[in-house]
Amino acid sequence: MIRTVTAAALIALATPAIAGNTLVPAGVPAAVAKSTLTVTPAAEWNRLGARPGRAAETWTLDGDTLNDLTFYGGIETGQPIVREVSRKSKPLPHFSSTMLPTDLPALLEASYRISLDTPLVEIGTVEPTTFAGASGVHFTYSFTNPADDVRRRGEAWAAVIDRRLYMASFEAPALHFFDAGIEGARKVVATAKLVPQGR
Amino acid sequence: MACPDGDPAGIGGMFMTRRLKRPVAAALWVCALGFAAPAMAQEKSATREGFTLPASAKARILLFRPRVRVGSQSTGGMFEPNADWTEQSKRNLVTALGAAQNKLGHTIVTADEPVGPAAATLAAYRALFATVADAVITYQFFPGNRLPTKKRKGAAFAWTLGPGVRDVPGAADADYILFLDTEDQFGSTGRKVAQLFAAGLGVGITSGVHSGFAGLVDARTGDLLWLNADRQMGGDVREAAGAAKRMAQLLEDFPGSVPAVKVAAAGAAK
Repeated sequence: MIRTVTAAALIALATPAIAGNTLVPAGVPAAVAKSTLTVTPAAEWNRLGARPGRAAETWTLDGDTLNDLTFYGGIETGQPIVREVSRKSKPLPHFSSTMLPTDLPALLEASYRISLDTPLVEIGTVEPTTFAGASGVHFTYSFTNPADDVRRRGEAWAAVIDRRLYMASFEAPALHFFDAGIEGARKVVATAKLVPQGR
Repeated sequence: MACPDGDPAGIGGMFMTRRLKRPVAAALWVCALGFAAPAMAQEKSATREGFTLPASAKARILLFRPRVRVGSQSTGGMFEPNADWTEQSKRNLVTALGAAQNKLGHTIVTADEPVGPAAATLAAYRALFATVADAVITYQFFPGNRLPTKKRKGAAFAWTLGPGVRDVPGAADADYILFLDTEDQFGSTGRKVAQLFAAGLGVGITSGVHSGFAGLVDARTGDLLWLNADRQMGGDVREAAGAAKRMAQLLEDFPGSVPAVKVAAAGAAK
């Protein structure tokens, strides 16, 4: 009885809230993911009310399943990059500040494999880059979510700054949407910087 | 990663300790209050601004068999496919489509199922169509959840699959492609029981998903010209009558379709 009631409660709680999607205006610096990570988009985006994780925020043009620009703002040691699916039966890997930049693609790969319940996640190229003014890693990836059978391509930039993980990723269906959106996403990510608090 | 929606897979770990009872009870009341508000109005059909299907009946519409997935929905809301139901429903829906086709009022080119790489291309576009249709429901048909950049005049219904649709087998000789997609998840006993308990507490959860998408796509640009989409359609597709009802619902409001009365009258005159 208690389990059924709890199930009902959990299912209800898991139902997406009526999101407060807001406009991200062009040319105005925007702090993202409840952090000091700030970007200045050259074009308008939509900020989704629903967040993939506590320290994450998603921007989109047509919906997060079609173009998804997600920022991760200062994930601390011991935290997963996205919300846990099931802490007990399918725990996600946690970020650690001792991770090397080359460990970060594997962190995303393992997180996706578990949370999407799919082996179809692949990391492509990995190269050093500068992200938010710090040395980091840039990598490409692809995955297929079994929920919709759509193959998606992704590109991510990540750096560990002051023992926290900062990352931005853009992913979209490989058909049409990735090529249509990646340049706009790269332009946004190129403006990323950490703005000291109080400014 | 797309924001999690629907039911998380983690519902399986639904054990409540004594010290959690009060917080859960409080959460239930919060839910009850939240769901007591009237549900948001939902639109179900839209046509791209300025689009009208030529009345001359010269438009060539490429039609593939519908993508059909049928199964059950677990207590936690996970989809569990059922091959027998899917095959049975496919047969029923194809029969219903054959009967409904003559009401579309244009040159319908029924495409054979391709094989090899062409089949993979078609499967990829079918999946992309379903994803786009689902995004339209989430971010367009629920006005309260509409994306701010899509609220403006002129940008009200601008969705596309991209010009790559020309790679779909048979698209080169067509003006339009009509995609049909259905997914039915029949609520399991556990899901129905959970729904009953939740309803008793004033919490609204659904048991079963019966989604259907029908979309007309420009075969050259990939632009979505007309869409009829709903996550709770009628008709049990495992039965012939239900499949006919579903197909009628899918093709309702198809641009340029011949009204049912007219078809019936024409049939009687013969």
